[in-house]
Amino acid sequence: MAVLLPIGTRKGLFLVRSDDGKAWEVDGPLLPGWSVYHAIVDPRDSALHAATNNPFYGATTHRSDDGGKTWERAEALGLPEEGDLKLNATWHLEAGADSELWLGADPGVLFRSDDAGKTWQVNRGLLEHPTRDRWQPGAGGMCTHSIQLVDGTMYIAISAAGAFRSEDGGDSWTPINKSVAAEFMPDPYPDVGQCVHKLLVHPRRPERLWQQNHCGVYRSDDRGDNWERLDGNGLPTSFGFALALDPEDPDVAYVIPEQSQEHHFTAEGRLGVYRTGDGGASWELASDGLPERAWVAVLREGLAYDDEGKLYFGTQNGSVWTAPRGGGPWTEAVRDLPPILSVEAAAA
Amino acid sequence: MAVVLLPAVLAAEAGGQKRFEVDAATVGDALRALPVNNLLFDETGALRRLINVYVDGVDARGGRLLDEPLRADSEVRVVGAVAGG
Repeated sequence: MAVLLPIGTRKGLFLVRSDDGKAWEVDGPLLPGWSVYHAIVDPRDSALHAATNNPFYGATTHRSDDGGKTWERAEALGLPEEGDLKLNATWHLEAGADSELWLGADPGVLFRSDDAGKTWQVNRGLLEHPTRDRWQPGAGGMCTHSIQLVDGTMYIAISAAGAFRSEDGGDSWTPINKSVAAEFMPDPYPDVGQCVHKLLVHPRRPERLWQQNHCGVYRSDDRGDNWERLDGNGLPTSFGFALALDPEDPDVAYVIPEQSQEHHFTAEGRLGVYRTGDGGASWELASDGLPERAWVAVLREGLAYDDEGKLYFGTQNGSVWTAPRGGGPWTEAVRDLPPILSVEAAAA
Repeated sequence: MAVVLLPAVLAAEAGGQKRFEVDAATVGDALRALPVNNLLFDETGALRRLINVYVDGVDARGGRLLDEPLRADSEVRVVGAVAGG
């Protein structure tokens, strides 16, 4: 399968393509001057969308209908003038269930666009959530970084507010953080305030959720009502950001542990991808081909899988690694890009 | 007409145009007339913190900034603040 990887970096967007998974073409930097926190190919119309941020000119999104040759910036994106909050950064784009597009942003907000990213309307249910005064920003800001839509249900996750579920298209949001630790809080198991780093729903088994959290790896089999902590069992640490699943097998997940919340580099100095094939009961190293000594970091949007289960991740030192389904052997597809913020995989 | 000069990233966002002639009485009027005004101002209408504006070579933040009056031959230069070393 020919694949297109939109690679968001601190210095613009790169489009990485391959017909055979062996030879890779690199196009970019596109959108130079913008930090691309996340970029997607909309599967409905093949448009490229990018969450773009600049220290001088603020947070916005860009759309391209011609494969990245030309770009249009969002015309209207911001928080209501009457409120106290200002838009700090755009973080995550997700194609909606119908024709809409969703955008997660800092400070813990969600936007919806019904005109393909030209204008964005803030989600009031989340903006005015009754627990908002108990949320706090994580080290990367208070970012809405995970958006999942499955079978009419929406899930989002915010660092550090926790995970939320909506059954009414985003009008209201229920916290789903039971038994998820927030060890940095006075009450280590609060209703909200958990620092989720990434949340994914299995596409074939929509009641099964996974999350890599600041305080552990978790799985839920009842749409987030209850969570089981899964670290230990072969994982060197409980801390990390990246998370990937297998499109066919809901018992498979991948994480890339980091040393600790104080030390955001690879656990034990090894660029280690860990795989479970039994729902998280056990984890094994799936790092054949990866450097055994490396202190690089893979960010929360930096690990992706495609429709065939192939895996891709990008590092803070600008390398893109890829592996067949199962997690090895890994090969370095591209190197020496700017620091990589996000990786997605789309059919080319 | 006053002239407004944009740095590279803003010029790219303005379709590649770096120099604009605007009929504006103040710095604020001139900046708000640009096609990249939503990159210069936040959602409250405030000029973004790391944007500096020079009018005929003088830092407008030391003066009346957005209310600084312009002459017909004024040159307004938009510059990102020096940040990051």
